[in-house]
Amino acid sequence: MKKSFLIQFSILILLIIFANLGLRSLESYDDDELGNAGGIRIDLTGSETVFESSPKDMSPREGGTLVLAESAEPEHLNTYTSTSAAATRVLDYIYETLLDYDYETWRFDRPLLAESFTISEDGYTFTFKIRENVYWHDGQQLTADDVLFSIKAVLNPFVDCAPMRSSFSKVVSAHTNGQYEFVISSSETYFRNQEILGGFHIIPKHIWDPRGLLDRYSVEDLLNSTVTREEAAIKEFADAFNTHPQGRPVGEDAEPIIGSGPWVFDKWITGDYISYARNDNYWNDDPTYIEGYSEDGAYLDKVIVKVITDATARLTALKAGEIDFIPRMRAVQYFTQTNTPDFLEKFQKVSYVVPAYSYIGWNNDKPYFSDKRVRQAMTMLIDRDSYNKYVAYGLGIPTIGPFYIYGEQYNHNIERWPYDPIRAVELIEEAGWIDHDGDGIRDKDGVPFNFTFSVSAGSTSSKYMALMLKEDLRKVGIVVNIRQLEWSVYVENLRDRQFDVVSLLWIGGLESDPYQIWHSDNIGDRGSNYMGFRHAEADSLIETARFEMDKEKRNAMYFRLQEIFHEEQPYTFMFYQRDPGAYLKEFHGVKWIPIRPGYKLYSWWRNTSMAGESS
Amino acid sequence: MSEMAPARTYSQIVGSQFRKNKLAVISLHIIYILLFVFIFADFLANDKPIVMRYQGSTYFPVFREYGVKWFGLNWQDAFKSQQFKILEDKYEEGDWAIYPVIPYSSTEYNLQVKLQPPSRAHIFGTDELGRDVLSQMIHGARVSLLVGFVAVAIYVFIGVILGALAGFYGGLIDIIIQRMIEIMITFPRMFLIITIVAVMETQSIINIMIILGLTGWTGVARFTRGEFLKVKNEDYVVAAKALGYRDFRTIFRHVLPNTLTPVLVTATFGVAAAILIESGLSFLGFGAPPEQATWGSLLSSARDTLPTGWWLTTFPGLAIFITVTVYNLVGEGLRDALDPRLKQ
Repeated sequence: MKKSFLIQFSILILLIIFANLGLRSLESYDDDELGNAGGIRIDLTGSETVFESSPKDMSPREGGTLVLAESAEPEHLNTYTSTSAAATRVLDYIYETLLDYDYETWRFDRPLLAESFTISEDGYTFTFKIRENVYWHDGQQLTADDVLFSIKAVLNPFVDCAPMRSSFSKVVSAHTNGQYEFVISSSETYFRNQEILGGFHIIPKHIWDPRGLLDRYSVEDLLNSTVTREEAAIKEFADAFNTHPQGRPVGEDAEPIIGSGPWVFDKWITGDYISYARNDNYWNDDPTYIEGYSEDGAYLDKVIVKVITDATARLTALKAGEIDFIPRMRAVQYFTQTNTPDFLEKFQKVSYVVPAYSYIGWNNDKPYFSDKRVRQAMTMLIDRDSYNKYVAYGLGIPTIGPFYIYGEQYNHNIERWPYDPIRAVELIEEAGWIDHDGDGIRDKDGVPFNFTFSVSAGSTSSKYMALMLKEDLRKVGIVVNIRQLEWSVYVENLRDRQFDVVSLLWIGGLESDPYQIWHSDNIGDRGSNYMGFRHAEADSLIETARFEMDKEKRNAMYFRLQEIFHEEQPYTFMFYQRDPGAYLKEFHGVKWIPIRPGYKLYSWWRNTSMAGESS
Repeated sequence: MSEMAPARTYSQIVGSQFRKNKLAVISLHIIYILLFVFIFADFLANDKPIVMRYQGSTYFPVFREYGVKWFGLNWQDAFKSQQFKILEDKYEEGDWAIYPVIPYSSTEYNLQVKLQPPSRAHIFGTDELGRDVLSQMIHGARVSLLVGFVAVAIYVFIGVILGALAGFYGGLIDIIIQRMIEIMITFPRMFLIITIVAVMETQSIINIMIILGLTGWTGVARFTRGEFLKVKNEDYVVAAKALGYRDFRTIFRHVLPNTLTPVLVTATFGVAAAILIESGLSFLGFGAPPEQATWGSLLSSARDTLPTGWWLTTFPGLAIFITVTVYNLVGEGLRDALDPRLKQ
């Protein structure tokens, strides 16, 4: 063994000499421009509100099946108690709302189940005139009673939909006027009222409350905690509602979900797929029925949503022809694994913007990040552009604040913090973090600058972010520990504010209200201001803006708010997301829109005659 | 034994038997190489020079790193940021630096060279953050070997003691220990480990070593027990008892040395198994913390990049394969050499 080691040691010495003789300067390859990797990049800025990525020269025809792959399966499909995005993506095709987005202006004012609506002069009361020709999938007519029942179910305090109910916290009364009129009043003139009061799924009363348990109670009763405590029927209804067989996974014999939408629930085979079929009796089958409505009802016979959790398996399934559409693939797949001429011939790749942004959140209540100079320094220490270019393949759109980057609330006048490690170190030293005890780690008041970056176990991108930050901060005397946590634990720690740094994605809307995340009311008690952001001016701006109905004035306040965010850096705002996807070119009418999930399947149709030509 | 060939000791006999097995001898040398890599990893792959001449003085940054880590020394002011490659711009006349063979550390990233196939600059290519794969493998070898040895040491220790007690005393103690073994082996080991790891607060290789150690002792315990049953009625054991030696002395001084050799053979196989399990856990993301390079986590990161990043799977995969194979071959060689029936 001694001899063997001696030999190895001499070999090592020789290798070192050899390696150093030809010591090279770091070879850096010219990064070839990735571009769009043969796909279409959709931004939907300016006047462009819908983008059609498929050829427009053919007229749509009915028939065909679309198989798409999702990464997660919903735990159940009860539209009010579910919190999963996967469930919403299915249920949005089965249920409908009173109002919907206008596809031209992307304002939430297109009547859908409502024929028309009026807002009282004081702005408190909404009156919806319900259409008289809407029928549920089982043939019963949809009336104002169903709408009233739906709002009662949401407001029932025992129904497991607290997150959803919180948006309705200002509702004071609701009632019907005859069969086709629904009136709802709110105690405040909140600017998102129209979106909330007109934007919830209407569910059939005869299915969910066949015994009419809630008939006896008015909305006012349900809001009165004395009544709800005393009346057993209210609790009884909620218990039945929370466990209702509608939308429960039971394999082949799943009870069909009854909605009113253009698609009818077909099957849910747990762990395999969820499918829905075209509603041939859809009430809204006349494409010209509503002005401004740019969809023509549904064309595809059937949509199958396959659940494939592994990203590599999803792409393999697409290539093998088992699925037709991957709405969200990994950036590395989009840019490096789908560039063959064969693939590009058969599939259309698309990257589209969704209103969701990634950020790194600094817990403002931890000693390390309580000083805004340190938070600014952290932002300047993160080379966001390189990260976007090399790790995210350029799919991110840098953002300075939480508002939708192409929306009217976003303040484009703010200059992003640059990547500037030298200035950052100065700021950190200004804030008092200097290596006093000479152990190579900065400290202040005896606390070493040694924090933990929590990473959700499944997220490769935040793992990479954490690894890079650890390596970079080590060089300036700051220790980063990386902790991988299971998603459920991660969220739990977030709510309890037991973390130093998190990296997350926030899914917002085209227009959003910063109250939930940024107002100091929502710190602690499991409120959503997880970072503990406190700022008197920001608080008052947020409060006033909520009830300011004049858009110009409101957005002026939000512009100022973004200046505060920029200065305070409670988050390091990273990027608005572009989701990369791919679909089989046989599909036409493929339209991309700025609201989640970025596409609607109504207009898709399958050109089956192409199948023969392309093979 | 010594009657046959008085000039040769037991270990010499085993040694000559072992040397007859060419494959085992080669494997043993590969283990030596792995041990060498284990000890000198920092000198093989590091972003710090081994020796450097900088502005008139000579420094030994790799050694200094040990000093900083273990002896509370500090980096010299010029090297506070530990970015030696950037210092090259400040070189004066006569300054130089001798770098390790692979002048990259396992955590040093360079996004501009990410996912490069093997080249002269990066012999085994780079991963998704532009970290050198070979450097990560060299530092990953440390984890693999450490986990292998420490885990096996823990379970051999536990297994030998429990097995010895069961075999020596028999009766109630034997029944209790045997039932413990049976309960342990009813759990599939990998699932048991994953369950324990999932409950753990922090990820560290120390946890993995302890868990592997605590779950692996059953085989050794059974083996030792069997050997004890064989030996415990031998004359020398009876003699030891007759002389009034305490049980402790009888067990550990007289019986155990005569039963230990076959246990050591299983331990060699055990090292291979532990390395494989650690790689598996890291592959699934349960093993070492993310900043720790291991063979398993390299394989895991390659999953996303396949089929383009073949070098990310091939080299760590080969490393695992070779390591596990050589440990098994050495174990087999040892087993054959120790088998008295083959001795001539």
